[in-house]
Amino acid sequence: MARAPKRWRTPSPHWLFLVPALALLTAILLVPLVNSVYRSVGRSDFTLEHYATLFTDGVTLKVLLRTATTAAMVTLIAFLLGYPYAYVMTRVGPRLRGILLVIVLIPFWTSVMARNFAWIVILQRNGPVHSFLKLFGLDVVLYGSVAGVTVAMSQVLLPFMVLPLFSALSGIDRRLLLAARGLGSHPLKAFWKVYWPLSRGGVVAGLILVFTLSLGFYVTPALLGTPKESLVAQLLGQRTTQLLDFAGAGALGFLVLVITLVLVAWANRFGGTISAIGVVAASRTKDRT
Amino acid sequence: MVSRTARTVTAVSATVILSLLATACGSDEPPAQSDPDGPVSLTFVAYGGAGQQAMIDKWQTPYTAAHPNVTFVNTSPPDVAQVKAQVESGQVEWDVVATSPAAAAQNCGTLFEPLDFPGLDTKELVEQAVGKCYIANFINATPFAYRTDAFPDPSKAPRTIADFFDVARFPGQRGILTNLQNGILEYPLLADGVAPDKLYPLDMDRALKKLDSIRKVTTFAPNVGALQQAVGAKQVDLFLAPDSRLVPLMDSGTDVTVVWDVTVTSINAFAVPKGSRNVKAATSFVASVVSPEATAGIAEALGVAPVNLGAKPNLSANAKKVEVYGPVNTGKTVLQDVDWYATNFNEATTKVTNWLAG
Repeated sequence: MARAPKRWRTPSPHWLFLVPALALLTAILLVPLVNSVYRSVGRSDFTLEHYATLFTDGVTLKVLLRTATTAAMVTLIAFLLGYPYAYVMTRVGPRLRGILLVIVLIPFWTSVMARNFAWIVILQRNGPVHSFLKLFGLDVVLYGSVAGVTVAMSQVLLPFMVLPLFSALSGIDRRLLLAARGLGSHPLKAFWKVYWPLSRGGVVAGLILVFTLSLGFYVTPALLGTPKESLVAQLLGQRTTQLLDFAGAGALGFLVLVITLVLVAWANRFGGTISAIGVVAASRTKDRT
Repeated sequence: MVSRTARTVTAVSATVILSLLATACGSDEPPAQSDPDGPVSLTFVAYGGAGQQAMIDKWQTPYTAAHPNVTFVNTSPPDVAQVKAQVESGQVEWDVVATSPAAAAQNCGTLFEPLDFPGLDTKELVEQAVGKCYIANFINATPFAYRTDAFPDPSKAPRTIADFFDVARFPGQRGILTNLQNGILEYPLLADGVAPDKLYPLDMDRALKKLDSIRKVTTFAPNVGALQQAVGAKQVDLFLAPDSRLVPLMDSGTDVTVVWDVTVTSINAFAVPKGSRNVKAATSFVASVVSPEATAGIAEALGVAPVNLGAKPNLSANAKKVEVYGPVNTGKTVLQDVDWYATNFNEATTKVTNWLAG
């Protein structure tokens, strides 16, 4: 123990700890990504035709729009379910909080396939959901529809909303709310003026995480959705594996990446910082010490 | 001062990156061919599951017994995109790949090795069984069938392929595979009155227009597993499902009636990726699967049809119900045209996808 701190005090190149991670990312992310973008512009014979095709083939834009709408719906549902849930988690005792955490983490611990097949059974024709809806005269089968995909994705992605929200909410000093009430504020107004702004970092982090993950979802739409309403990941898969159109697929993938990055940048300006997750986590650690 | 440990980390990382980059770049030199009489390990790629297990039992094991120097490494799935990636990077790991013959013909010489089968007796093989870059391994029939309990009264049950498209007289959910190999373009045309021998070249627009008429009541399954699941769980009533999936469905208690009006069949094939190090051994192996015994074996195991008409498979009762070349088939049979698909695969795929997504 005596030697360790001394060694660290020498001007130590901490960045070297990044090298293994950076090496891995370079090899499995950066190199293929650059390669794929290079391919999408026709390698050395520069062309933007693959990008132009995306906007003119009449399908890609429709599928992109559908994907964005679905992702937005999933994000909204996850937020509406996740915010109150995370709030309750900050207000209960440690044991109940643990149970609530386990409930939200169960999707993480279940195999993707098991989860999706469970949803097939639940959503299919004459399954529980269909039978329930029929009681109200609604003959709607969610299996094989974007609506069904949305429901299942919301469940799968809920942890990505709840965890950053819980981090953010539990870091909020509740005495500020007491102060607001003490100064005569209505509880709702106190929430809106004090609590909500303080939680916004976690909200943005959750929204971005869920939305960007939704954009690239493949297994759930492939199993629960339908080729009639395919999402962008299915389109990408088909361009790669069936048409062997690596350049076209690369262009589509890069377009999605750019859209995602633009959204993240925009959300960053709008709601604080994407590093909200990290910041909140750091503040939590500080709390404990 | 940089510590020794840190320097080691940097050096190791740099080495890792460089070696990964080197692997990614590959080389342009033609691969050294293995000695076909020496020890050869063939990497065999098929669709996994029961199908691949049957191929191991019926084809690989007997082949290794006859050629002890040849062993197999099994993997899946056989994506042509993977072949393309391997060929382009110069790192071809696969030797035998299950594929549609159209994909092999379409990419013949670029992604797949031209194959030569000297001395192969093709008299008993079905038409189109041997192509420039592929050899057939079995035939899938995708007959029109329905769940018997959906139409319990035989006098009111569907009898022709036109009935599949007649939603007014035969209500119910339809199930269709989106794969081109399963007749998504042929059946609408046949139902629309095109004669079986006048199908090719396919009038794709007419086919899609006919499909419009059942779009609302049809579940489009992206793969056979999804369709099999949908039939077993009573999600669809009338369907175009391959023979090899109808047999396990019937075996597990789903009562299915096949409508033998006109049935679309397609060849499944093996191809050898361009640049394989074991072309000779791979060629010799794939030629062995068209023998009467080998084709009968796979038909018995999977309920598919043999490509060798001399095969005498000993079929189970349920497999006999879907035996497209057997006495049960009282209708006509159309074998998909490999050449048409090889030429038009991309256009057809794009058209069907766009129709589906639209």
